[in-house]
Amino acid sequence: MEYLASLLHLMPETFWMIVKVLIVFLGPLTLAALLTWGERRGSAMIQDRIGPNRALLFGRWRLLGLPQLAADGIKFFLKEDLVPADASPLLFWLAPVMAFVPAMMGFAIIPFGRSFTQNGHTYHLSLLDPGNGMGMLYPLAIGAVAVYGILTAAWSSNNKWSILGGMRSSAQMVSYEIAMSLAVIAVFMRTGGYDPQQIIAAQAGLWNVFPQALGFLVFFICMFAETNRLPFDFAEGESEIVAGFHTEYGSMKFALLQLSEYVHIVTASALVITLFFGGWAVPFLADPPVLLSVVCFALKLVFFCWVFIWVRWTIPRFRYDQLMFLGWKVMLPLSLGNLLLQAFLMHRGA
Amino acid sequence: MATLVKKVELNWLDRTYVWPVFMGMVITMRHFLKQITTRSSKRFTIPYPDRKRTPAAGYRGLHELKRFEDGSIKCVACFMCAEACPARCITIEAEEYGDINKTQGFEEKRPSVFKIDMLRCIYCAMCEEACPKDAIWLRTDYEQASYGRLSMQFGKWDLMNTYADQDGKARITEDPTPTVPHQSIQN
Repeated sequence: MEYLASLLHLMPETFWMIVKVLIVFLGPLTLAALLTWGERRGSAMIQDRIGPNRALLFGRWRLLGLPQLAADGIKFFLKEDLVPADASPLLFWLAPVMAFVPAMMGFAIIPFGRSFTQNGHTYHLSLLDPGNGMGMLYPLAIGAVAVYGILTAAWSSNNKWSILGGMRSSAQMVSYEIAMSLAVIAVFMRTGGYDPQQIIAAQAGLWNVFPQALGFLVFFICMFAETNRLPFDFAEGESEIVAGFHTEYGSMKFALLQLSEYVHIVTASALVITLFFGGWAVPFLADPPVLLSVVCFALKLVFFCWVFIWVRWTIPRFRYDQLMFLGWKVMLPLSLGNLLLQAFLMHRGA
Repeated sequence: MATLVKKVELNWLDRTYVWPVFMGMVITMRHFLKQITTRSSKRFTIPYPDRKRTPAAGYRGLHELKRFEDGSIKCVACFMCAEACPARCITIEAEEYGDINKTQGFEEKRPSVFKIDMLRCIYCAMCEEACPKDAIWLRTDYEQASYGRLSMQFGKWDLMNTYADQDGKARITEDPTPTVPHQSIQN
């Protein structure tokens, strides 16, 4: 590590920070891009179809349809950047960025591997080092900001379908955030802290998902609402409101909005893993090697991303009133009940 | 008419919705695993240009005008097909041929023009049913796209050669016997 840093005339800390920024920025982005492929091919397989497999790399290699990603990317870049006449140009231009940046930021707190020490330096595998005082409150805060991107996109495009989608999405996020936060608070209570490293360490014996199954269920369902995924994709709802908040978007701006949704999935999966599935911890291995812990984290991440896709192609969409009913009358009481139950159990000393 | 609404009583497990959703996910995963482990040739979807579907025995594809072994057309220009055609896409003009008429006093008849407008044809095979000579068949070729409207007008020689390559027959462009000059009938 220090040798590599000295090659670039950098302090080891600075070098490590750059490496981490690259990993945290490019990792979720790459995974999100792969998820679009996974979504299309996976949904095709679920529905007994084949999916996109026509794009060829250099006109020769099919690679399971992966060149479709490159083809789509090139297409998005080369398309005309259209702004509707009635749209607010500045906000219309800004909205994809506002959607994309919080989506990318959420991943910064997630430890994606075991911290290791080398030559007296401790290297942490998360962009924000443990003990920064924000802990897992940070992704919750960032996740709450994400709705502004969608709302801005909807509002600035001056389209009735868009604004319906944006409004529904923001109402949904507000409703589900409460239940989600309460489920997370139960985890904090059990851990006695909200630092991700602490939470992961506290799950050493038993993953949180087992003692807090109810909390996990609530959190996971709320995550679907937070990421605007089916069965809660009220921001889009193509059968009701055309394409929702990105109806008016085309070219790379649309791609950015779409990509931010997938990055949200990655971040949401990472949150689920960190809070309930032991983060980078390897099952039945007390002190795993660093690389193994990273691999284990990646595997868990990919699995939960796949669950997001899997659920989308299993369940139909809720009606809007059903969504609100579920959010306020089921999820919130369940989450509160879970909180009280955990508090009671802690009081009993269990 | 009164419709009977069937009310389903859900038990407590189904009313949680978590278990049914999980069972649904099991179903989709079963489909996923089945589809992903099936070979490409065994799947429902046929990757078209790479692999082509074999039409069923009774498939009604592109027409063929049948010929005898000497290459003469089986069609006798009786106009039955043109009459039977609901789309009115067949145009026939008859002519006479053969030298037999000079000795016996009657002529053989065949189409000089046999046109099918493939843009109008609905592939109902009524012509095939109507034909007393089994001279027109609808066969298996279903790839009939073209860049121009004119190339969808199939003439007599186009129709006689539609399956020549497939059947290993020679492509023919003229009748083995010449047309009888029209005045021979007049005499």
